[in-house]
Amino acid sequence: MNARHSGCVAIEADLVAAATGEAAPEATRRVEEHVEHCGPCREDFGRYRAIEGLVGRLRATVSDDTEARERLIARLGDLRRRRLRYGVFPSPLGPLLIGRTDDGVSLVQYLGPEGDVRRSLLGRRPELDAVEDSLAVEAFYRELLEYLEGRRSHLEWPLDLRLARSEFHRGVLRATAAIPYGAVCSYAGIASEIGKPTASRAVAQALRWNPLPIVVPCHRVVGSSGALVGYAGDKVGLKRRLLALEGVMRAEGARVPRATMYVSLPREQCYCLPTCTWIPTADDPHRFFFFGSRERAEAAGLTPCGDCRPDLHPLASS
Amino acid sequence: MGPETFETLVATHHGEIHRYLRRLTARASEADDLSQETFLRAYRAFRELPDDANVRAWLFTIATNLFRNHVRSEKRRSTFHAAVLAARSETAGHDPEGETVYRETRTVIEEVVATLPLKQRTAFVLRKIHELDYETIARTLDCSADSARAHVFQALRKIRHTLNGHDMAGMMAVRAAGRPGAGAPASEASEREVTP
Repeated sequence: MNARHSGCVAIEADLVAAATGEAAPEATRRVEEHVEHCGPCREDFGRYRAIEGLVGRLRATVSDDTEARERLIARLGDLRRRRLRYGVFPSPLGPLLIGRTDDGVSLVQYLGPEGDVRRSLLGRRPELDAVEDSLAVEAFYRELLEYLEGRRSHLEWPLDLRLARSEFHRGVLRATAAIPYGAVCSYAGIASEIGKPTASRAVAQALRWNPLPIVVPCHRVVGSSGALVGYAGDKVGLKRRLLALEGVMRAEGARVPRATMYVSLPREQCYCLPTCTWIPTADDPHRFFFFGSRERAEAAGLTPCGDCRPDLHPLASS
Repeated sequence: MGPETFETLVATHHGEIHRYLRRLTARASEADDLSQETFLRAYRAFRELPDDANVRAWLFTIATNLFRNHVRSEKRRSTFHAAVLAARSETAGHDPEGETVYRETRTVIEEVVATLPLKQRTAFVLRKIHELDYETIARTLDCSADSARAHVFQALRKIRHTLNGHDMAGMMAVRAAGRPGAGAPASEASEREVTP
C-alpha cells in the first residue's frame, strides 16, 4: 500500500465500504471511477468483495446452544423461586417489612420510624434479589394486622427459613414456631426441645437473628426466671406488648409470672396447675409451655388435667 | 414486566448471544458460561430496563463487557499457567484441557479474526456477523461511531492483507465442497486456542 499513489490511500476507506456494501452512493461512484483505471485497487476491491462473501457464510452458521440454554433456564427458575418480593406497611408497632419467596414468608422486619428499606436486611444483602411487590405480601400483612389488633391468634403461613444463619438456627426457629399463642417457653426449654439442653445461649442468639419475628414467635421465649431478657436487639418493649396482647402478662410487667400460670408439656394433651404432681420438677424442669389463662390453654387444644383439675380450681390470677 | 417476558427474551436472544460469544471465545465451555452470566445479569437488571430499551443491543453490551473482563482475567491467569500448559501439551501431545483443536475445519477468515486485537475483533463480529449498526456497536464498545467504523475497517484490512496471495474464489469453492452437511456448523467445529 505504501508504494501506491496517494489517491489510492485516500480512497481506501471508501473502497472497503463500497466493496462491503456500506458506502453512500456518492462514495461508491468515486470508488467505481477510481478502480476503473487503477489495477491494484481493482484487485483489492475484488478481494474485499470475496471477503464479504466468506463472511456472509459465517453469518449463516449457527451454534448449538441447547444445553447452555437449558442450564440457564434451570438457573433462572431457581433464582425466581429465591426472589424475595416484599412490601413495607404501617402497623401499630411501626413500619413493617414483609417479604416472601415462592416457598413462603421469609422475612418480617421492624423498620425504624422512617421505614427505610436500605437499612433493613435487604439493604445489607443486595444478593438477595429483592423486588418491591406489595401485592404479593398484602394478604400476609392483613392477617398480621388482625393479629396485632387482637383479632387473630394464628398465623398459619408457609415459612421459608432460608434467611436463617445456619441449620441450628433453623432448628431453633422450628421449635419456637410450635409454641402456642398465649404461651411462653424458656430458652432452656427450646434448647432441650432440639436435643441440645446446654445450648440456651446459642438459642438466644438464634432468636436474636430470627428473620421472621411475630410469625416465628420468639417473643414467646423468655428466661427461666420469667424475665423478658431481650428482643430484636433493644426492643424488649415490643416483646412486652406482644405478650400482653396474647394475655400472658400485663403491658407494664417486667417478667412473666410463671409461678401463677398453667403448665403443659410439649406433645401432652392436657394442662395443669403449676403444683400438679404430673409436672416433673427436678427432672428436665424446662420443657414446659406456660399459659396465662385456661382459655389460651384450651384454645391450644389442651384439656384440663384429671388430677389437679385446673377447671375446678382455677388460679387466682385468671 | 413479569417472568414470562424475560423467558421470551431468553427464547428470542439466547441463540444469537451464545453464537456471538462462541465466535469470540476459544472454548465452547467459555461461551456457555459467559452467555449464562450475560442472561443472569440481564435478569437482575431487567426490571430497571426502560420499556423502550433496545434489548438486543443491551444484551450485546453485557456480553461484550463480560467477555472483555474474562479476557483480562484469562490474561492474568495465563501469565501463571502458560509455562505449565506448554510443558503439559508437549508431553501429552494434545490440548491440556482435553479440548481438541480442529484447525483444519476453521475458515481462513476465522483464523485471522481470532488474531485481531480485542476491539477490532468484537467490532468486526458485531458488524459483520450480527449486523449491528455502528451507533449500537459504539455504545457496546464505549467508543464513538467513527472509532467503531475504524475498528471494522482495520479488521477488514488485516483480513485482506492476510488473504493476499490466497485464491479466494477457489477458497470459497473448496470450503463449500469440504463441508458436505449443514448439520455440522462451522462455529461448532471451530474450537480455538486462547487468543490474547
